Amino acid sequence: METKRLRKNIWRAAWQSGAMVVLAMFIGLLVNEGRSDGLALVADWSPEVRLTTDAGDSMIVSLEEAERLCLDKKAVFLDARPPEEYARGHISCAKNVPWQGFEAYMDRVWGVIPEDAWIVTYCDGEACSLSEDLAKELIAMGYKQVKVLLNGWTRWTEAGLPVKKGDEGRQMAGIEKDRTS
Amino acid sequence: MADVQTGFFRRQWQQDDPLVLIARLILGAVFIYASMDKIAHPAAFAKDIYNYHIVPEICINLTALVLPWLELIIGILLLIGLFREGTAWMVTLLLVVFFGAMVFNLARGLDIHCGCFHTSAQGTDSAPMAWYVFRDGLFLIPAFYLFYQTFMRKRELAKAQEQ
Repeated sequence: METKRLRKNIWRAAWQSGAMVVLAMFIGLLVNEGRSDGLALVADWSPEVRLTTDAGDSMIVSLEEAERLCLDKKAVFLDARPPEEYARGHISCAKNVPWQGFEAYMDRVWGVIPEDAWIVTYCDGEACSLSEDLAKELIAMGYKQVKVLLNGWTRWTEAGLPVKKGDEGRQMAGIEKDRTS
Repeated sequence: MADVQTGFFRRQWQQDDPLVLIARLILGAVFIYASMDKIAHPAAFAKDIYNYHIVPEICINLTALVLPWLELIIGILLLIGLFREGTAWMVTLLLVVFFGAMVFNLARGLDIHCGCFHTSAQGTDSAPMAWYVFRDGLFLIPAFYLFYQTFMRKRELAKAQEQ
């Protein structure tokens, strides 16, 4: 009796779950078809495709180019990682603009970095999306030349390029000075 | 067929243990609320799913399109009390899967946008991943209770009624 009831419950759970999934697929796909901004059912999520602007330009910067931009001080480097990670070590020419809680760090960007400046964002790891999200937000804010150094921190340190340690406190004082001068 | 299978029209809801009712209402409301923003912003939700680096890339957009509707359907059915066994199973399964995905990413040090209630189109938030894990863990309590009551206790209740 007991097992019979349990079997019945499991059977119900199975067909009801199936029915809900089928219904969700049906509605979801139907609504997507009806939307003007509907998604492609299968999308290419490779960095090359993800990091192409609407105008068709690639936002990816090579390590060699990034090195040149940093050493020649041609670009502003923005470290999108949290402050603690930045303090443990960062690209020598980078300021810290953490993507998590970006609103609070907006004043490090807006009115400080000119709109036509070259900006390179980076974070750490193949899977890190902080630099991408920050770069896209900067473009939405009106910045023209924003690039992403994929897996930036790891590649930069592996190549033995110049790094610094310490938190944003001293760095920010520097920016403030630049601003008033 | 729903009435025969679930007993909804046999006023099964009147026999409900108040705690089961509360668990259903909480989970139903949470699931409906969670589905809204994702339904409105599928592209942003797809990005959130991508950020978890768990779902195979080929399935990301399909998941982003279907999962929010599944949440909405489960939420509505939980509120009205239809499909008891199916919703108890699915709500527990989904919360466990979400919990696992977050713990997995927390463990590998990937602090990402949760994408739980608001997609990243809503701007950034600074809450750490650990908070999301804790919050999801809280929702697991009513889910497990509901699961237990639906699959284990109900048999006892039914048996008591038969006697």
